[in-house]
Formats: sequence, structure tokens, C-alpha cells
Amino acid sequence: MPVPSYESRGRSREDRSQGMRPPARARRRQARIRLAAGVLALLGVGGLAVPAGAATLVINVRAADGRPLPGAVVTIRPLDGMPHKVAPLHAIMDQVNRAFAPDLLVIPVGSTVQFPNSDVVSHQIYSFSPAKRFQLPLYRGTPYPPVHFDQAGVVTLGCNIHDEMLAYLVVTDAAYFGRTDHDGAFTVEVPHGRYNVGIWHPRLRDAETDLERELSVGDTDRADLTLRLAKSLEPEPLIDRPRSWDY
Amino acid sequence: MPTSRSSASGFWHSRRQRTRRATDITLTLLALGALLAFSAASRATDWQASLDTRLVGSDAQHSLMDGGPGTVRFGRHDEGLQLGRLRFALTQHFLELWSVHLDVSAWDDKGRSPAGVTEAYLQFRPYPRDGLRLRLRAGALYPTLSLENRAAGWESPYTLSFSAIDSWLAVELRTIGIEGQLDWLGRRLGHDFDLSATGGVFGWNENAGAELASAGFTFTDRQTPLFERLGRPGPAPAYSEQPFVEYDGHAGAYAGLEARYLDRVVLRVLRYDNHADPTAQDFVSNTIAWHTRFTSAGVRVELDDGWTAIAQWLGGETTIAPPGLQLDWPFRADFALLSKRFGRHTLSARYDRFTVRTNNEEIGAGSQDGHAWTAAYVFNASAHWRFTLEWLRVTSSSFNRAAAAGPPLLSETQVQLAIRYAIGSAVR
Repeated sequence: MPVPSYESRGRSREDRSQGMRPPARARRRQARIRLAAGVLALLGVGGLAVPAGAATLVINVRAADGRPLPGAVVTIRPLDGMPHKVAPLHAIMDQVNRAFAPDLLVIPVGSTVQFPNSDVVSHQIYSFSPAKRFQLPLYRGTPYPPVHFDQAGVVTLGCNIHDEMLAYLVVTDAAYFGRTDHDGAFTVEVPHGRYNVGIWHPRLRDAETDLERELSVGDTDRADLTLRLAKSLEPEPLIDRPRSWDY
Repeated sequence: MPTSRSSASGFWHSRRQRTRRATDITLTLLALGALLAFSAASRATDWQASLDTRLVGSDAQHSLMDGGPGTVRFGRHDEGLQLGRLRFALTQHFLELWSVHLDVSAWDDKGRSPAGVTEAYLQFRPYPRDGLRLRLRAGALYPTLSLENRAAGWESPYTLSFSAIDSWLAVELRTIGIEGQLDWLGRRLGHDFDLSATGGVFGWNENAGAELASAGFTFTDRQTPLFERLGRPGPAPAYSEQPFVEYDGHAGAYAGLEARYLDRVVLRVLRYDNHADPTAQDFVSNTIAWHTRFTSAGVRVELDDGWTAIAQWLGGETTIAPPGLQLDWPFRADFALLSKRFGRHTLSARYDRFTVRTNNEEIGAGSQDGHAWTAAYVFNASAHWRFTLEWLRVTSSSFNRAAAAGPPLLSETQVQLAIRYAIGSAVR
């Protein structure tokens, strides 16, 4: 199950790259990212053994206008019983065509992320988010050590040279997490019990706490929860804009 | 450089000039070769080179660079194949937060050197802290003013010819000094908007405004290289003018504000004053200092269906005060641009209006009124190849043209087909 890209941006970027296709090395790297992202999703969702008395939990996320919201980050925390720890991961966030690829990763606390640079231009990535402050120059062809994320929270990434570059790392301590699919749904097997469900999206205007819900997964095989945003999302980032525009 | 030429020395002059030009070309090529070799070796170097050639049709009078009153870059005697721009640009990062930017261009054989530097500066740009970021630049650079010239090399992605406002900046304005900018990166703090404040202090701009008062607003994409001259060879002020000179000892300054809503809307306001002493004269270049100040405001809106709209206004005044006299030229220009992108194709239309007045009707020199329509089609065939077709018509009344027995009201049309090829680490 591949992780859906942040809205349609991933797809659009591929459209844009037609005629300006990245070199084979970058394409291979992109394939590697997709693979890594897929593995990450599998680990993130299926990393825990499902004990007896489990149920299928389906979280449906709807935008303010009622339409399904793909790409929303869903975090699920057990409210009783033993706290679950998800094993840390090693993920890759590449720089391709002056954009982060992918531009959103959800990783458990303690994970590391490698930031290669498949572009031939230099980048200087940074974050001043409280969950992780760091800066890293990425000159072409030079490997840099991975960055360790040991605190939960949303890490907003930018490039000090290319201001239009924007990406997010959601570092979570939740036992279950993932992103909604194209139908706005996230499905996971959980043991019976009480859970706290949280939602996050890069273009969210609602306060995160307003979207938190508690629910009990009882004796049934399946539990459903539909969450609807109160406010409309920010507009989508502009796509198909030549990357050389820098004034 | 001699300020007058006698015909007797003309032969020796031209021969000496030819020799000097050959030396200049050799030195320039050597320097570019060295820079290329250096950039190929360094990973922290971004470079770009491009060749822009033009096929020109025009019914315009002699242009500014030929000392004429024409309002466009290419006059009727320039018809045919022309060099649009040959450009080499380099950004070298060092010590992580520092970089050097160099932009070298050759335009035509009308300047006094084969190639010149349009921008060259040292930049210090530390990483943001708690949403605030500082950027310091020192050297020669464009102030943060233009909303259409947003592409590399201070070019417009919409048209070949710049608006009246940006053409004037290209011809006469450059910050030769230092500029500081403080950004508040609101979007990275969860807000919908970013804010910036910019301030600059500069010198070597005593003659900014002289061309407005003599030739008025023009439409060009030729950016005057640093310390190069404008107009036909000959003694100033009748012929060549050097916009980038310093002799009154007064530093100019500007301050600006910018607000951005997401990646959709940019608002910019800037106040500029070169603080020149209008009584100061330079007997070497035979010029008087032009006290030029203006305010500019503009907005750019981009929508997700490929539409872009830009509107900008600039208004100000330039003054000289020879003994016993004060001459003022208030000026104003504005434009509206609408552009629609269809994949690799971009269609743009722009309407410009411009006015230069004078407080001395008897002299009247420089007073001008006009408007212009520009239509352009840009085809970005690949990251390397770009094709542009542009039609530009400028209709203006000009005191100077009338004084030189030209028609007081004239429409000039220039059509250009441009083919540009670009290579470099920054070209993808």
C-alpha cells in the first residue's frame, strides 16, 4: 500500500517533469523513495502484532464541504493498557527539481531521515520547528549524515536558497498512524480498547485539538469514525510554475 | 577617456579602440573560461549561461543607445538578426551562509565594452531563527522592486521588453551599496502570510533620472552594465551619459515593505531617494547631479489555473539646480499585465502608461506622454530552449522629438522573435 502523496502535488510534479525529466539517477532515486515510503507505510501500520480480540478501525476524514480528504495524517493512541512503542525507521526525503520528494513523511519518534540532493543546484534545508531545529547544506553529490528526530511534533522544512520549497515531517509517538487514501479513509487493525484519534494536514486551518476524538472499539469486528473539518483548507500550492523564478 | 574627439585623431582612435576591444574580448573569454573551470570543479557553485538571439522588425527611430529619441530597443536600422543577450551567471557558496553572485552579459556593440557586469554582490543569508531571517547584500544589485522581472538575470518570464518602469530601472538604476532585508516567515509558523522589510544605502547613482528628463520612458530589456555609458559616443550631456557615477558625497537610500499571501499574492511598496545634491557638478564627466526620488507600489496575483495579473505604479520627480535655476521633472508610469499559462505556452498582454512633465515650459525638454501595448507568446520548449514572439507598439508625444523636427505624436512598432538556449547547473 503506497502512501498517498500530499494531495495531488506528487502527481502534478510528475506531469510537470514531462519534457524536463530528471536524469536517470534521479528517477531511480525517486523509485527508491516510493519503495521506501511504501515500506515505511507497511511498518507504520503493521509494525505491531495484532492480539486476539482485534477489530478493523476505519477513520474517514471529510473536508468542510463534505468531500473525502486524501492525504490527511491520522494518529491513533491507545488510552488504556500498555503503551505501544513503534520501532524507529530510516526514511529518505530527496530534493528533486527544487522540491522535497516526498513533501510529507510520517515517522515514529526516534527515526532518522536522510536528505540526499538529486538536483544539480545546491540546497540549504532548515527547520525552526520546536520538535527539531536543524540546518543542513546540501551541495550536489555530497552525502550528508541522516538527521535524528527524537521528539514528537510537526517539523516544517524549508530551503534557505529556494523559498518556494516546503515540506513536512510528522514525528509521532502514536501507536498507529498513516494517511488517508483517495477516498479519505485510513484503515487499521487495532485491539479492543479506547483510543484517541488525531488528524493533521499541511493545509489545515482548524486547530488540531478541535479535531481530536475519543472512541471505544468494543466487541464488534469493525469500528467507524468520520471526522469532518470545520474550516476549509488553505488553497493548494501553485504547481507548474517554472522553478527558475526567484524574485 | 577623452570627452571630445578630433577628426585628425579618429583613425588612431579607432585603431587603438579595436586593439583594446580585442584585448577586452580575450580577457573576458579568459575570465569566463576560468570561472567555468572553477565552477565545474566546485560542488557549491551554481552557474548558468544563455544565448538569446533575435529576429527584429521595427519602424522605430534611433534608439537610446544610438542617441536617438526612439522609444524601443531596436530601431528601423536595427532590423534583421540581433543579439538579444549573451549571459553568464555564477553563484558561489562559501562558508555555508555566504555567497557571491555575478551576472555578466553582452548585449550589442553599442556599449563601450564587449561585455559588462549587470549585478555583482556578496550575500550573507543566515538560516531563519524563530521565523525571522536576515539577508544582507553588498555590491551592485537591483532593489527589490520589480514584480514582472522575477526570472534569472532580472528577466521577465512574460515578455521580452520590460514595462516602462522596469525598462527605466534596467537603464539607470542599480543599488551600488548595501541592502538588508528582514523576513518574517509566517507561513512556516502556521500563518497564511509572510512579511518582509527592506532597506538599502547606496552611492554611484548621481545620474539616475537624467534619461527620463532627456529621452523619457523607453521600452527595452537591455540592462546597462555597471559603469558603462548610454547613448551615442560623444561628450556628455549631449551624447553619452554615465548613470553610475558618484561625486556629491551624498548616499542615497530606499526602504520597502512586502507582504505575501501564501504563494498567491505579493504586495510591494518602496520609497527611493538618491539624495543627490542637484547643484553638484562634475567637470570630468561634464554632468550635474540629478536628485531623483520616487515611490512605487505594486501587486502580483497568481491563480491555480495559470493566470497571473500584475499591476504596478511608480511616481516621482527628478531635479537639477544649475546656478540660478531649478528644473523639476515629475514623472509617473504604471502598467497592468495579464498572463495565462497553458503548460509550456504562455500568453501575455500588458498596457503601459507614462508621463514626464517639466516645470519650465520654455525649455520643456523631456516632457513626454504616452502609452504602449505589448503582446507576447512564450514557448518553453524545454529547460534549454525558449522561443518568444513579441509585438510592442508605443504611442507617445515627445517635446524632444518635436524639437529635433520629428513628429510630436508618433507610434512605433517593434516585433521580435527570440530564440534562447540556456545551459548550466541551474538549468533543468
